[in-house]
Amino acid sequence: MRRPPYPVRTKPYGTAFLELARERPEIVCLSGDLTRQCEIDLFQAEFPERFVHAAMAEANMMGVAGALARSGHLPFVHTFGVFATRRAYDQIANAIAYPALPVRIIGFMPGVSTPGGPSHQAIDDVALMRALPNMTVVDVADAVETAQVARAVADLPGPVYVRLKRGEIPVVFDDGHRLSLQHAEVLARGIDVALFSSGMMLATTLAAARTLEEAGVSVSVVHVPTLKPLDGATVREVAGGVRALVTAENHSVVGGLGSAVAETLAEAGIGRPLRRIGIQDTFAEGSLTAPYLFERYGLSVRHVVDAAWSALDRPGPAPETPDTPETTTGSGAYSPV
Amino acid sequence: MLMPTVRRFSDPGSRWTVTDPVELALRVRLNAVRMVAPQGFGYLGQALSSAEQVAALFSAARPGRDRLVCSPGHYVIGPFAAAVALGLLDESALRDYGKNGSGVEAIGSERSPVVDHTCGSLGQGLSAAAGFALSDRMRGRDVRTFAMVSDGELEEGQVWEAAMFAAHHGLASLTVLVDANNSQVDGPVDTVTTLEPIAAKWESFGWHTADVDGHDPVALAAALADADAEPDRPSVVVCRTSTSHGLDCLPPDADGHFIKLSPELAWRAIDELTRELEALHA
Repeated sequence: MRRPPYPVRTKPYGTAFLELARERPEIVCLSGDLTRQCEIDLFQAEFPERFVHAAMAEANMMGVAGALARSGHLPFVHTFGVFATRRAYDQIANAIAYPALPVRIIGFMPGVSTPGGPSHQAIDDVALMRALPNMTVVDVADAVETAQVARAVADLPGPVYVRLKRGEIPVVFDDGHRLSLQHAEVLARGIDVALFSSGMMLATTLAAARTLEEAGVSVSVVHVPTLKPLDGATVREVAGGVRALVTAENHSVVGGLGSAVAETLAEAGIGRPLRRIGIQDTFAEGSLTAPYLFERYGLSVRHVVDAAWSALDRPGPAPETPDTPETTTGSGAYSPV
Repeated sequence: MLMPTVRRFSDPGSRWTVTDPVELALRVRLNAVRMVAPQGFGYLGQALSSAEQVAALFSAARPGRDRLVCSPGHYVIGPFAAAVALGLLDESALRDYGKNGSGVEAIGSERSPVVDHTCGSLGQGLSAAAGFALSDRMRGRDVRTFAMVSDGELEEGQVWEAAMFAAHHGLASLTVLVDANNSQVDGPVDTVTTLEPIAAKWESFGWHTADVDGHDPVALAAALADADAEPDRPSVVVCRTSTSHGLDCLPPDADGHFIKLSPELAWRAIDELTRELEALHA
């Protein structure tokens, strides 16, 4: 595990996906008119005969992908998460999820990582995809995991929704880290509070854990890359050893990580105070920069620390938190669309 | 209930022979009446309007190779009825159609036999058909994909996304039959939304088109042959039909989308169609 400030990498998905495609001729790549933005210009340049421009027509793109999978191809479908899920939900349900076809849907720009406004913010994609039978839902944390995710999902049974940040991706894990889609990963063991993190909230969660530890709170940190099927055994085991829990996700608190953890706790009869950090059932307006959105909509390190403090019912004010450069989006080659 | 032995139109083991499309269309109507009669209501109108199209498809397709996508799942009754008539599907399918736990569901599902793909949620089948055709071209396979589409479905935007896609990619192995029966849930299609000119719309999207009497077996066969000969573009045959065609005993105000069939009316329908079949053989 690295310490901040974290270095960034560009195109970790696109580069790794191309490497995988060189080994797997059955892979076909579909683009909903966001080819460079989804890093698949690399694939298009090398394998034009396996690249399909599906245009701005996501419903049709999902239907075509379903038929390609039914015919033995391994389709990877690329667009922004909002268009992949909200716009084509019925098509994914009927053409992909119900027949349990191996289509890999790659949705970019999760949550409030974009200045594109509510129309471009995928704050409900995890909830929607979790609701579909047969669907696996993956939300990786950093550039190391992003570079491994295409290979990791290639042979999973049935369809997979992968949520990816685009642009400059922070490198939080050491390069030897291995992404697991089967297990939630316990990164720290403490006895007071457990912080569960999915996707790009890892850096924020780790910063919150450091602040809490410095204030004398013993913290567990659990990284949850697969939201469905959730690793309930790890959730139950960790929850049983702490007094309170906080979930942190760049997504609505309805239907994502917080809901999944709450469902697990309730069904196991584990009674612990739970706070859900995420977008509080609202659309996030007024965007230009990510730090503004993360602060305004409750996704900052301070929000995580405050939530843990409150869940533990600690006296006095929560500890001060440092600035959070970890949540800054890059402004390099991938300017927002 | 028996699960069907032949799963798909294109399965390599599928075999059938159509000796007379006129007789097959009659048998589609008769079998559809038998399927709907136990419930007293159902998607009989779809079978009546598409009977000749189904007969033409089974006549033109190469068994065990070409594909059939039945986009409006309600229409799957037609391919089921034809498959029973051709010995492709067990007679028990007539009895089991639409029953609890049956593998031959009234609205097409993943486990629907005979067809290669169907869509209960309207407007999605053409995308799948385009995907099949794209796959065949990527692999250099000589396979035709036929897609049954209904006129009401043309109200769904996805159909036109797929139409643009298929034309842009030059998917010539794709042939669509649009059943223009002017019927949808709320009444005649042209009172709900204007689709005309249907053929001109497809043509402007880059398709080879034909506009025919959908109850004329000769015209349908010719249109499918022309579509097969079209080297560069996907083809669409707009079939003008009626949801009561070929069954004189139906009341004039029968709801084409979901016909009510009392036991008495069902017996009259079976009698009428049986006599027509006998006359054909006389």
